[in-house]
Amino acid sequence: MTKHLNSMAVLAFAGVAALGIASVSAHHSATMFDHSTTMTINGEVVELRWVNPHVSLSINGIVKERAEDGRAVWVMEMTSPGNLVRAGGWRRDAVKPGDAVEVEFSPLRDSDRKGGALKKVTVAATGEVFTANLREQERPGLE
Amino acid sequence: MRSQFLAMMFIVLASAATADAQSTPKKPPAIINPAPTAQDYADLAKLPDWSGVWNPKITDQDRQARTNPPPWNEKVAKEAEKMWADEKAGRPKLIFYGCFPEAHPSWMLVTHNAMEILFTPGRVTMLGESDGNRLRRIYTDGRAHPDTSDPTFHGHSIGHWEGDTLVVDTVDILPQAPLAISEAVGVPNDGDMHVIERIHLAEKDILHVDLEITAPKILTAPWKTTRIFFRQRARKFDIVEGVCQTGDYREAQDDNGHHIFVPVEKTEWGNLVAPK
Repeated sequence: MTKHLNSMAVLAFAGVAALGIASVSAHHSATMFDHSTTMTINGEVVELRWVNPHVSLSINGIVKERAEDGRAVWVMEMTSPGNLVRAGGWRRDAVKPGDAVEVEFSPLRDSDRKGGALKKVTVAATGEVFTANLREQERPGLE
Repeated sequence: MRSQFLAMMFIVLASAATADAQSTPKKPPAIINPAPTAQDYADLAKLPDWSGVWNPKITDQDRQARTNPPPWNEKVAKEAEKMWADEKAGRPKLIFYGCFPEAHPSWMLVTHNAMEILFTPGRVTMLGESDGNRLRRIYTDGRAHPDTSDPTFHGHSIGHWEGDTLVVDTVDILPQAPLAISEAVGVPNDGDMHVIERIHLAEKDILHVDLEITAPKILTAPWKTTRIFFRQRARKFDIVEGVCQTGDYREAQDDNGHHIFVPVEKTEWGNLVAPK
């Protein structure tokens, strides 16, 4: 696992060097995603990064609307852990590596890259559904 | 001869002592924060109940970004229009870079995260979630702003109660702190920003923060706006630690089996670099 992650990091660094991309973290807008489009990927969880300010979920699977791409790793971004717990019913162990899942997402506008903003994930084994719309918290006294 | 020598030594030593006294002025007495009394704690019960966790009305932030924009000066208005266009085109400017705090007043204006408000004698404390360093200390003990400016992300805040409304006056905010109306539209205030807030319950479980923001380097007039927060008491809303920098890393283990963080990469807009 460690070597696997290190390899991923190395690959990512290589990508950064090639593209001249800076490593910056912060609260950011989500308009790099095309929110007018919804796609669906079926596959297995690779990794859940339960971090602030944006949780991410990697899935190795096939996107229904991009079947020509075949099986590939896609990275989905979400809001913060705290907001996911409140607005989407998430837990840190809501999904685990290897879990079969179906994810609905808004894809990156840059169609060369396999990424998106997660809207909903369904865990195949349990049927549990977790969402990511933090604007669903806009009333007092929620339970 | 000997008496002349002693007299001269006396004059030299006396002069040195005088000079020393003049170069090290007497230290003013320390200003002490007195220990709270039982009455001070009892008086807290007379304040309005702002307990619980407050989460923002983001849809109203979105609405006001368009319907009640700040009176940007001509130069900044052009910058803001470009930011709007870039955001719409999917190239949102990263105005909260480097995981710095959103700062005051942008925390109030554009936060997507919850906060809590604590009352203690002589102080109101606002604690936010998600960047681990989101904290406002509002002194209600009658002190004034300091004579010497020492700017910080959240500035120096003093407050007083007018009935059930907390009136907060904030100065000394870092010039780099952005005045933001969305996560992709905002500019550094460039200095001399002054914020007055009137914080009050609009309804039993709805908190309003009425802001009046003066930022002479970027605005042509004071900007008035209101932000809305909802009270939650369900335990799942309890504020959790949120360290923004963790977003730059993933969890891993090193060759010795120790748990560590290893970096991930981000685009210039702040999202993860997705695979090709």
